[in-house]
Amino acid sequence: MPGETFKEYVDSLSYGSRTDLLFKFLKYTPEADAEVFVQSLLRELGNAMDTGDVSALSELVYLAQLAAYSPPNEEHRWKYDDAPFATLKKPLSEMRVGLLTSSGHHVAGTDNTTESLAKYSQEEATEHISEFGRARPMLSAIPIDTPADKLDVLQPGYDIRAAVTDRNTVMPIDRMKEMAADGVIGEFAETAYSFIGVTSQLRLLRENAPEWAKKVQEEGWEAAVLVPV
Amino acid sequence: MSVGHVSREFEAAGIPTVIIMSNVFRGRTLAMKPARVLFTPNIMGRPVSAPFDTERQRHVLQEALKLLETAKKPETTLLLPEPYRVAPR
Repeated sequence: MPGETFKEYVDSLSYGSRTDLLFKFLKYTPEADAEVFVQSLLRELGNAMDTGDVSALSELVYLAQLAAYSPPNEEHRWKYDDAPFATLKKPLSEMRVGLLTSSGHHVAGTDNTTESLAKYSQEEATEHISEFGRARPMLSAIPIDTPADKLDVLQPGYDIRAAVTDRNTVMPIDRMKEMAADGVIGEFAETAYSFIGVTSQLRLLRENAPEWAKKVQEEGWEAAVLVPV
Repeated sequence: MSVGHVSREFEAAGIPTVIIMSNVFRGRTLAMKPARVLFTPNIMGRPVSAPFDTERQRHVLQEALKLLETAKKPETTLLLPEPYRVAPR
């Protein structure tokens, strides 16, 4: 746009007029570093076009995201002094293990929100992300025999392209089945769960997380693999 | 943060957990004093692997389950050294 500054441009990638959830981190990148990043991105893009090797490109994005999301001396809203720790009571090869993610996967045709926010497409959801941030989370039950093409993803907090292309990038149902078949774990709990990680943290903390712990215990979970996005 | 809260609640209820996540969020995660975390050097939205990299997915799961079984104390973390890659063709 005429007169737009570089800073205004990169800020627009984060829930603005040019939302791009893979690059929204640039809003939190010092402007001088963001300028260097864009220049480096173009250089590596050119290299990749000649070589077909995108490893330097993805490494560049990874390091820039790390710097933006985990800066030194960062102040954290959620920090704790205690560290709850449950011990295993028997070998993993004898345990029933469950899978839970915040990827926003849900069985196609079901609503994975508590306040009818599934009316939104993924793109619309990013425009209404504050509504998700206030909403109580919902746990979507996903039977582990659900075919991949019967799963949808709605989650306005991250770039869902990989999750849609292959659920195992964020919700490794198929690999967990293999771990059970190989005897690494005793059993893969027959229902996996996912919720939308963009949610009311207070409600999650005070209401949902304790309910969910009780729920999966009743389903016989003896250990859990958790995957945030 | 969301899964960090779930993890703390599960651990307090007696359910051991292992978190698999991208290392880009390590700062805010470590502040929550998680029980066990396998960090992957992956870009956001691909904590386990790139699409269809089943070999890497298996490796990540194996390492995570090993961490789950062998950790003796809270805040046991491991950063996988293998860089993010496109699935081999």
